[in-house]
Amino acid sequence: MTMPVWLEIAIRVAGVFAAFLVLPLVVGQTEHKVMAHMQGRLGPMYAGRFHGWAQLIADGVKFVQKEDVTPAAADKHVFKLAPAIALVPYLVAIIVIPLGPGDLVAQPLDMGLFLVLAVVGVGIVAVLMAGWASANKYTLLGALRAAAQLLAYELPLVLAAASVAMAAGTLSLSGIVEAWRPWWLLWQLPALGVFFLAGLAEIRRPPFDAPIADSELVFGYLTEYTGLRFALFLLAEYVGIVVIAALTTVLFLGGWKGPFADADLGWLWTLLKVGAVSFVVIWVRVSFPRLRVDQLQRFCWLGLVPVALAQLVLTAAVKVAT
Amino acid sequence: MTVTDVLVCALGAVSLGAALRVVTSKHLVRAGLWLVVALGSLAGVYLVLTAELLAWVQVLIYVGAVVVLMLFAVMLTRAPIGPSDDLDRAKVPGVLIGGGAGLGLAAVLVDAYRWREVGLSDVEPGDAGAMGREVFTSWVLPFELLSVLLLAALIGAIVVSRPDVGQRSR
Amino acid sequence: MTTPEKNGFPGKGLIKGLGITLKTMVSRAGTQQYPDVEPELPARSRGVIGLMESNCTVCMLCARECPDWCIYIDSHKETVEVPGAARARQRNVLDRFDIDFSLCMYCGICIEVCPFDALFWAPDFAYAEGDIRNLLHDRGRLGEHMAGVPAPPPHDPNGEPSKEESTAAKKGGAR
Repeated sequence: MTMPVWLEIAIRVAGVFAAFLVLPLVVGQTEHKVMAHMQGRLGPMYAGRFHGWAQLIADGVKFVQKEDVTPAAADKHVFKLAPAIALVPYLVAIIVIPLGPGDLVAQPLDMGLFLVLAVVGVGIVAVLMAGWASANKYTLLGALRAAAQLLAYELPLVLAAASVAMAAGTLSLSGIVEAWRPWWLLWQLPALGVFFLAGLAEIRRPPFDAPIADSELVFGYLTEYTGLRFALFLLAEYVGIVVIAALTTVLFLGGWKGPFADADLGWLWTLLKVGAVSFVVIWVRVSFPRLRVDQLQRFCWLGLVPVALAQLVLTAAVKVAT
Repeated sequence: MTVTDVLVCALGAVSLGAALRVVTSKHLVRAGLWLVVALGSLAGVYLVLTAELLAWVQVLIYVGAVVVLMLFAVMLTRAPIGPSDDLDRAKVPGVLIGGGAGLGLAAVLVDAYRWREVGLSDVEPGDAGAMGREVFTSWVLPFELLSVLLLAALIGAIVVSRPDVGQRSR
Repeated sequence: MTTPEKNGFPGKGLIKGLGITLKTMVSRAGTQQYPDVEPELPARSRGVIGLMESNCTVCMLCARECPDWCIYIDSHKETVEVPGAARARQRNVLDRFDIDFSLCMYCGICIEVCPFDALFWAPDFAYAEGDIRNLLHDRGRLGEHMAGVPAPPPHDPNGEPSKEESTAAKKGGAR
C-alpha cells in the first residue's frame, strides 16, 4: 500500500515538528538533572511529582505568562523578529538529518551537509539582530562577541565536515553514513574533535559562552528579552545542541549503524548516539570554566584550524592511497 | 505560467524590493538586514532554477559571512537605532553606476539568450558533482587565479593588522 | 588553556575535571529535602530554648546574664506553712517567664548560668511567625519545647567519673 503524497508530507512535517519540540525538552530536562547531580544536588524534584520530569513544561507555562517587555529605545521590529530568525535555521537543519536507513529522513537531499552548514551559519544574523536592536551596551557587546566567535569557528567546522565528506565521497548525509566504517573513528578522530568543539562554539555553549557571559555582560545579547521571546531563544539553544549532536553522530559516529539490526533498529542507534553526544555537551558545560575572548580566538585559530587542515591532508592521503 | 515561473518572479520581486530598501533605507543596520533578505531570496531563485550548490553557497558565504561581517563593521563603528540624517549617499553617481551596471548586465544576458526557452528538465542540475567537474576542467584557470587573489588578500590583511611587520622595514 | 604539567600530558587537568564531575554524578547527592524529610539534627543543636518550670526558682540569673535582655520574669512570694517548722517559709512563685526570640541571639548563656537546670536547648527550629510579636514565647510554649529536648549523652567511658559518682564512691568507701 502506498500513501498519498499529501499524507506522506504531512507525516514528515509532523515528525520534524515533533523532533523539534520534544528532543530539546528532553535534552533540557537531562541537563537540569545531570548538571544537578554533577554538582551534588538533586535538581528539580516537584514538577510532575516524579523527580521533576515536568519542570520544563512548568517553565514554559511560566514564560508564557510573563510580561513581554520591549525596551523603549529598541528597534521594535528587529527586536521582535530576532527570536524567530534564531529558530528557523535549526528547524531547516533537522529536516535533512537522517534518523535511520532508507526513507527515515524528512527530506533526503543530495547536498544535505552543505545545506546544514549553510543554514547554521545564518544563526549569527539573529544574534546580531537581537544584540543590536535591544539598544543596550551589554547586548551589543554580546552580539559582537558572538559574531566574532561564530565567524571564527565556522572555518574549523566546515573544514572538519569537509574532511568526512571527502572520505565518503558525497555531501549527502545518508550517503556519508552508508560509506562510514568503524575504523573511520580512528581515521577521522581529529576531525571529530574539531567538529564537536567548533559545534559547541557555534551554539555558544559553555565553555564557549563568552557572548552570554552572565558574570560580565549580564546575559549578553539576551539581556533585554523576556517571556516567550526569551523562551524561544532558549529553545533555539537546546535545538542547537540536538542539531550539533545529530550532526556529530551522522558524520563521525556512523549514524544508524549499531552493533546489530541496523535496518530495523537504526533509528534507535541514532537516537542513542545523539543522546550520548548531548550528554557530553552537558558534561563539558559542567566541568570547564568559560574561555576568555582572546583565549577563544586563540584556541580556534592556533588549535582547531591547524588540526582541521592536517586532518584534511591525512584524509586526502589515505583516500589517494586506497 | 508554471509554478517555477511564479516562484522565480515572486522571489525576484522580493529580492529587488529588498535591494531597493538597502539603498533607500535611512536606518543603517536595517539596510544591512534588508541585504540579508535580498541575497537570501536570490538564493531561492537559484534553488528554483535547480542550481542547488550555488544556492547553498550563496547562503553560506553571503548571508552567513559577508553580510555578517558588514553588520559587524557597522555595529563596531556606529549603529544608531532609528534613522540617520547624515547619510552621505551620492544620488546621481549612484544611480548612474548602479543603473548602468544593472542595465549593462541585463543587456548582455538578454542578448545572449534572446527568447530561447530552456526546459528545467533538460539542463543538468547544478549539484556538487557537476559543479566540481566544471570547476576543475574548463574553469580551472579562473578558479586557481581566484585562489591566488584570495591568498594575496589574506596576506595583505595580516600585514595590515600587524604593526610589527610594517615597523621592521621602516 | 592546555599547559603541559610537570609529569603529565597536555589536557590532563581537563580530563581530571571531567572525571571529578562524573564521579560526583554517580555518587549520592548531598541535598536534604527539608520540608518533605525532617533533617536529622545533632543532639546539641541550638534550635529553641525549653523551660522546665518545676526546676525554676526565679533566681533571675538568666534574665540578668542575658546579653540582649530578652528574658522577662515576673514572680511573687508565697508563704508556705510547714507543720512543725519554727516559722513559715517563703517561696518564689513564677508568674511570667517569656523569652523574646526576635531578640535572642542564641548564645546559650542563660542555659549555662541556670544553677537548677531549668533551661535546655532543643533542636526544633521551625517557629517562624508572620508577626514579630508572636516570637515572644510564654512559659507555656517554652514548656512545650521541653518535649524536643534530647536525652543527655551517655557518660564518656574513658572520661573522669562525674562528681556525684566519685563522692558517692568516697562515701561508700568510708562507710
